[in-house]
Amino acid sequence: MSDNLSIILTAGLVATAAGLLGPFLVLRRVALTSDAVSHAVLPGIVVIWLIFHTRAPLPVIGGAAVFAILCVLAIDALKGTNLVRGDAAIALVFPALFSVGVLGITRYASDIHLDLDSTIYGEIAFSPFETLPIAGVEIARSIVLLSGVALVNILLVVLLWKEFKATTFDPEFSRTIGISPKLLSRLLLVAVAITAVTAFESVGAILVVTLLIVPATTAYLLTDRLWLMVATTLAIGWISAVAGYWGAVSVDASIAGAMGLVAALCFAIALFVSPSYGLIARSLQRRRRSRSVQRELALAVKPQGAGADT
Amino acid sequence: MGSLIDLLPLAYPDAVVVVGAALLGMTAGALGVFAVLRERSLVGDALAHSALPGVAVAFLVTGAKDVGTLLAGAACAGIVGALMMVGIERTSRIRPDAAIGVVLSSFFSLGIVLLTYIASTNNANQAGLEKYLFGQAAGLLERDLIVMAILSAISLTLVALLFRALKTTLFDPNFAGSVGLPVRVLEVAMTALLVVAVIVGLRTVGAILMVAMLVVPTVAARQLAGRLAVVLPVSALIGAVVGVTGALLSARAELPTGPVIVLVGFLVVMACVLLAPGRGVIWRARKLARDRRRTLTEGVMVDIETAIHAGPPPTAAELALVSGRDPRVLRRVLRRLDREGMLARDGDRLHLSEIGAAAAHAVLERRNLWSAWLEHGWQLQLPDAREPNPSDLRASLGDHYADRLQALAVKES
Repeated sequence: MSDNLSIILTAGLVATAAGLLGPFLVLRRVALTSDAVSHAVLPGIVVIWLIFHTRAPLPVIGGAAVFAILCVLAIDALKGTNLVRGDAAIALVFPALFSVGVLGITRYASDIHLDLDSTIYGEIAFSPFETLPIAGVEIARSIVLLSGVALVNILLVVLLWKEFKATTFDPEFSRTIGISPKLLSRLLLVAVAITAVTAFESVGAILVVTLLIVPATTAYLLTDRLWLMVATTLAIGWISAVAGYWGAVSVDASIAGAMGLVAALCFAIALFVSPSYGLIARSLQRRRRSRSVQRELALAVKPQGAGADT
Repeated sequence: MGSLIDLLPLAYPDAVVVVGAALLGMTAGALGVFAVLRERSLVGDALAHSALPGVAVAFLVTGAKDVGTLLAGAACAGIVGALMMVGIERTSRIRPDAAIGVVLSSFFSLGIVLLTYIASTNNANQAGLEKYLFGQAAGLLERDLIVMAILSAISLTLVALLFRALKTTLFDPNFAGSVGLPVRVLEVAMTALLVVAVIVGLRTVGAILMVAMLVVPTVAARQLAGRLAVVLPVSALIGAVVGVTGALLSARAELPTGPVIVLVGFLVVMACVLLAPGRGVIWRARKLARDRRRTLTEGVMVDIETAIHAGPPPTAAELALVSGRDPRVLRRVLRRLDREGMLARDGDRLHLSEIGAAAAHAVLERRNLWSAWLEHGWQLQLPDAREPNPSDLRASLGDHYADRLQALAVKES
């Protein structure tokens, strides 16, 4: 498999795995959980280094996943006290975990090169170089891992579609019909944590955060139907992956950064030209309405008979 | 500034860091209120990430790598990012968290692309630009402190002068608009103040930990007070105390300052969330347990009183049978009643002591009054439409109406 195809496929798989969960995060107003997870995994990597003295991907992903899940559950618990709002709970938990990680590095691991760039912030350009032989063909390890995650997310969203939909839009109602909103919210967050951690290792944190938030937010501007929103999110994710790679190669810039910028560009376009919620559509709507009100007012104040011939 | 640093009984570099942390804590504590209470706690996160393209552009434009230029670039990018956040929220149906996320990831992606571009131009001077995102309090200079102090003084004075307008916009933007306040300008002003706080903190604790410095003091102060005029100064105070404690601890343990300050802050928040009087998790759990115990005890006393009225004083086993309560729970309650001197035992038969009987009567009277209220309350013709407090009906209705209620109940029976 060529390196180009391999990189695009890796990014596309991240876009798929993230795009399935992103819409739910945006609709539940917890979009920034993904950013929290990207910082909160640091102590996991340090702990794995201290115990096993390794930076091999699978143990690191395992350690990071433990802290990612700890992070999302701690946020959920803090929010559950009703004393701290969701956004503040996120802002309290992840800097604390990140601090633990930084202290762990300076205290116990400063003699080795355990910096952020080379561990959690993986680089997508290097993803084709680590390969696994599958049925005689050398396939990039990131593609194998991410296909697994994407498959699990597809199963999760398809099997629990009704449940996720109900708990997202009407938690009270779903409780009365016996679907626990708390349980599903935790399930979603744990899925986000695992997806993010696996993807960090192959494409770097910022691209994962971007693909979890930006395509879903863009789709939210374009449609009101949930399944359409998920489909649009996936489409935008793949467009970002392909166009971003093409752009990065043609100007010789960071691949992850370019993919993020394409996603941002899609968002900006939707913000202006979305047929129902775009800036242009809204201002046209406003103008039409004010004109019709003015016309009615003008008709109403005209004296009887004077306007009969118009 | 120099004399203040000399006054502290600390080595010079430590003293600079401690003063810096105090300034930062105070400023971030006071300004963070305007992020947390508007449910935009993570604005600091987006602003901190948007510093990266700012730093890169400042370097590209000037070619210089001195602190002032790069921080100015970061500040400009922060303001642009902040305006975009406000703009996206106002003009579309995107909620604050998604708007913050979009700005955060777009700006950071842009920053990465710019950094790779700078690197590819082979400018030997560019190394370490991204290090500005991770604070190094140890590199703090006295000159930085003066800049921080001036920025803090300006922004805190602004908050004090605009307090009423900011408060109204914070809690009820629609009302604020209807009384003629410039809501948009004030919202931008609040976000601009946050930009100042983030820029102040960038050098001391770093971008990521700055998020915590904005949120920790406010959340802690909010558990202790309910009025903005109190929350604001308390939050500034907590911020300063957390900053100084963290700086001192990190100097003693020879650890990086930022993470230690953040962890101290996290402990303070957890303590407040658990213990805050009237609100904290433990306080609420204890109150619930106390209320349950009281209800149970009163119930058992009334059971005994009714049983004595109906026949011979009951034994504990009989009481359990009649009242249908779990015998083990009952034994525990009886032991408590013994301790409080409410019970007089006659062999294994149970009597109420004098004070026990009085307490049981009080409970019964309260219950009767409540059933009288449910049955005859409508006949009372209260002068206003108040809803009385069921746990103490007599006090909330007043003696006059309580007596009339009792009279109505007696007449009926």
